[in-house]
Amino acid sequence: METANKTGTIKDKLIFEFETSKLFLFGDTQLRDQSMESFYKQGIPDRKHEEYKYTPIASMLKGEFNFSTTKNCSDEQIEELKFLKGAYVVIIENGILVEGLSNLEHLPKGLTICSLVDASKSSSPVFEKHYSQYADVNADPFIALNTAMTKDGVFIHIEKNVIIEKPIHIIHIATAFENTIIHPRNLIVIDENAQVKIVESYQTVDSKAKIFNNALTEIVVDKHAIVDHYKIQDENDDFGYLLNTTQVIQKKQSVFSTHTFTLSGALVRNNLTIVLDDEHIESHLNGLYITNGKQIVDNHTVVDHRKPNCNSNELYKGIIDGKSTATFNGKIFVRKDAQKTNAFQSNKNILLSEDGTINTKPQLEIYADDVKCSHGTSTGKLDQEKIFYLQARGIGITNAKKLLMHAFASEVVNTVKIEALREYIEAKIAKTFE
Amino acid sequence: MLSIKNLHASIDGKEILRGINLEIKAGEVHAIMGPNGSGKSTLSAVLAGRPEYEVTAGEIIYNGKNLLELAAEDRAREGIFLAFQYPIEIPGVSNINFLKTAIGEIRAYKGLEPMEAKDFLKLLKEKQALVEIDRALISRSINEGFSGGEKKRNEIFQMAMLEPKLAILDETDSGLDIDALRIVANGVNKLKSKANATIVITHYQRLLDYIIPDVVHVLYNGKIVKSGSKELALELEEKGYDFIKEVEEIEA
Amino acid sequence: MNEVLEQKLSTEYKYGFVTDFEADNAPKGLNEDIIRFISAKKDEPEWMLDYRLEAYRHWLTMEEPDWAHVSYQKPDFQDIIYYSAPKPKKVLNSLDEVDPELLKTFQKLGISILEQERLTGVENRIALDIIVDSVSVSTTYKATLAEKGIIFCSFGEAIQDHPELVQKYMSSVIPYTDNFYAALNSAVFTDGTFCYIPKGVRCPMELSTYFRIEAAGTGQFERTLIIADEDSYVSYLEGCTAPMRDENQLHAAVVELVAHKNAQIKYSTVQNWYPGDKDGKGGIFNFVTKRGICLEENSKISWTQVETGSAITWKYPSVILKGDNSIGEFYSVALTNNYQQADTGTKMIHIGKNTKSTIISKGISAGYSNNSYRGLVRIGKGAENARNFSQCDSLLMSDQCGAHTFPYIEIKNNTAIVEHEATTSKIGEDQLFYCKQRGIDNEKAIGLIVNGYCKDVLSQLPMEFAVEAQKLLEVSLEGSVG
Repeated sequence: METANKTGTIKDKLIFEFETSKLFLFGDTQLRDQSMESFYKQGIPDRKHEEYKYTPIASMLKGEFNFSTTKNCSDEQIEELKFLKGAYVVIIENGILVEGLSNLEHLPKGLTICSLVDASKSSSPVFEKHYSQYADVNADPFIALNTAMTKDGVFIHIEKNVIIEKPIHIIHIATAFENTIIHPRNLIVIDENAQVKIVESYQTVDSKAKIFNNALTEIVVDKHAIVDHYKIQDENDDFGYLLNTTQVIQKKQSVFSTHTFTLSGALVRNNLTIVLDDEHIESHLNGLYITNGKQIVDNHTVVDHRKPNCNSNELYKGIIDGKSTATFNGKIFVRKDAQKTNAFQSNKNILLSEDGTINTKPQLEIYADDVKCSHGTSTGKLDQEKIFYLQARGIGITNAKKLLMHAFASEVVNTVKIEALREYIEAKIAKTFE
Repeated sequence: MLSIKNLHASIDGKEILRGINLEIKAGEVHAIMGPNGSGKSTLSAVLAGRPEYEVTAGEIIYNGKNLLELAAEDRAREGIFLAFQYPIEIPGVSNINFLKTAIGEIRAYKGLEPMEAKDFLKLLKEKQALVEIDRALISRSINEGFSGGEKKRNEIFQMAMLEPKLAILDETDSGLDIDALRIVANGVNKLKSKANATIVITHYQRLLDYIIPDVVHVLYNGKIVKSGSKELALELEEKGYDFIKEVEEIEA
Repeated sequence: MNEVLEQKLSTEYKYGFVTDFEADNAPKGLNEDIIRFISAKKDEPEWMLDYRLEAYRHWLTMEEPDWAHVSYQKPDFQDIIYYSAPKPKKVLNSLDEVDPELLKTFQKLGISILEQERLTGVENRIALDIIVDSVSVSTTYKATLAEKGIIFCSFGEAIQDHPELVQKYMSSVIPYTDNFYAALNSAVFTDGTFCYIPKGVRCPMELSTYFRIEAAGTGQFERTLIIADEDSYVSYLEGCTAPMRDENQLHAAVVELVAHKNAQIKYSTVQNWYPGDKDGKGGIFNFVTKRGICLEENSKISWTQVETGSAITWKYPSVILKGDNSIGEFYSVALTNNYQQADTGTKMIHIGKNTKSTIISKGISAGYSNNSYRGLVRIGKGAENARNFSQCDSLLMSDQCGAHTFPYIEIKNNTAIVEHEATTSKIGEDQLFYCKQRGIDNEKAIGLIVNGYCKDVLSQLPMEFAVEAQKLLEVSLEGSVG
């Protein structure tokens, strides 16, 4: 049982690392101890674990890993990653917020951006109230691991009635010369009637070894707030391993839209959970994944309708090529109290190659009777008739395919409200289609 | 145009409105603000004729007619338009068909000839441009699969099409991001005239930066406890609704 | 609202009159003698009687199915009259010979046979076969159709005049072993419609059968067989009504369609059998087996149904896509109100390469009714590049009704593309108030909503039928929202 041994090894190493470093970590030691204990019980899930059936994390974590968070890349390399002009930029390199490279001067009134370490040190009441209140350490081993071992990340707070018109761009940089595991963590709190747009980008720079990024973001959307959230995952195809947990809680009449673009990375696993914890809430979940080579992309989403009169709308699309594997597992809960829920879910995939794999598992769990729910899923090749039609108009087969793939992706890309971001994503997609 | 005197209304035996007095003249914009549960939405529901609400006392005179005697559809035909706080979805019925039917019914009520198809299309185009709504939304089923913001914009589009005399905007700002709010407010402002009046119901003062009211009323506990100029809205937001509650308690 | 509701709920079944003409009945009950009686009455050849008896003997070994999502008192098969022909029962050569009572019946139904004659252009005409209880009483336009080589006649006549066609095709799509009611039908069917479109002929008019159950205590067991030979086209309409009676009446029909190379059959049904009263008393048990086969390449079969009647509906018009590039379609609106129950849907069996199927099902449930969609999409091993799109929507109009969806998808070929979409939504006071606030009253609002919801299906019906179906839906639903 070589695999089991190796898995055991990494688990032991994580625990050892935790014990030796915990005194130097910020915040509540008790919370960290409890989380580590929970991780110890849960272990690293192998493929027998229902939720990780299609995500071979255990086998990826074979071999030696360290936990160093030293800064490796140059300032110039970092400047290049700031693709959103005019945004408030937060640089998080290997899980540590680098203030010197971030653009956080002249923050408007009502907006706080600082490192988690600073927020914890200054005992900010908002931080204290919300930190680690939503991502349940017993629900998932990686939440437990992140909560136990995180070293830093960003804390963002938007006060009541404040509108932040410029986007906030959080750039997560992973860079490693040896196999490394990092645990960045973010807490974003949007108060009543406030509005903001947040972009998180995940990139690998200059890496020569595997880097496993176990990132976690908690987002609190208070009543009447409107939040636009974007994740651009563009990690290295050989070394970038990303497990990205996003835990959202929404209050009355708030609107939260999230968009996940997975453009590259050796393995990307997204765990997105949105809890609709009051009435008249609106949630939008959009996703686009374009996979190739031996990539593995797995999107797990949970939309939890707990109160009446809420709307959720989910659209995930994928284009799968080479020997890659894409998984979509979308769960919608409509709890007993959640009458008059409108919940929609759609997952559409195009399989370009014979060796690609798609697993799709839409799930509705409905316990209320007056609801409107639908889910649809489709998987297929590019429409041969459409290709032929374009060919008949003189368009070569390669271009015809590209055109159709762009058309397919555009349904998701068009949901991006920040123009500069949309252009950036379009350019990235065009490149992957080359 | 509208005169409300000592209006009391209840739902399921519970009194929500406890003596509302309000006078609105043509050409005016009135804002009604208040904390949750103060009766703002009840007032709009009673004006539109929602059957669940029972008027227990008082009167509403609208353009010389006793409004309370009119059925909901007749109130609409007389020019009262409610932009719903939570516009409902009606699957399978296209916006266009819906508006064509509504306009047909309203015209029939007024004894007018049905509108010619080409005139209807012209009107559609004109109003669509006026409120900057996506044409694709108009041809879809009413509000089906619309985001909250799209639903609110569709309400304003319907309002533009039906050209009401008295428009009631019930928390039209909720769920709208700042860009959409500007567009909606712009549409409302363009539709204002000397002949019609608007009631804007809102929880936050942000909307009133864009739709400037002539009068602001504060509704609390089923009564209008304070009326004033636009500045009242700012004051309210700054001090919070607790400030009104305190004033109320001192006065009581 | 309550008053309106009350008033509308009392809207009665418009087609529930009883026509008074004498019928020529078989005695009640079922045994081999009754089958011989039916066969003899119809002057049938030996092979037909043998077929019936085989079917009957097989039926005796079968059990009534109970997997459908319906519950009812199972019919007592010995308490049914299996043959009832309205008198006079002679072959009619022209409409003048039709019993005037019967013509009146049709006037009440809103079908004027005579009026059809007055229309000029052939394109606008509908050739009509009228079946009351068990017997075909009138077939119009026979001569016009015969010029093109089209055979359109009662099943009984076909057995006499075209035995080779009947023998070749009857039971080829639905063998009597198929299911309980198909076996019963094969044993006791009394008449029905037969239609053959020869090679290369595009049938110049809609062919239509109007079914009516008239006599009390009878079952109706008709058979329809339509064959479209190579490169031919036919559009066929079927309508049904029945008088209001307190007891349940059984209707167990079999419809078989065969489409040869490049042929197209479009089969439309507006089913308005008596649904029972508002307390669920009486009404027709509609247990029907309908299936078509796209036998050869590029053929197409399209089913469109608007089901508003019957106490219980159990029916799955299906298509076997055997020929390469063949197409199967199913468009359905099933409306249930009061205590009606419907379990309906389709089967699309993909066997040939590049076969395509589309399923659009719209269920509407009101009152205390139950409405289920049950559908199977099967992609066989050899069905390269098969495609299916299914959409199953349910609209609920009360708190007491039920809507259920049972899709079955079996895929044995990985080049297949199968898409399935389903929605459930509810229409209630809120929607109606929204309409009122825009100046639209209740009645108009319900019409808008229902027709809007069903438009994808209604648009598949031929013009005259679409209008009738639309009205029927409105009448069936009036006052049931809430």
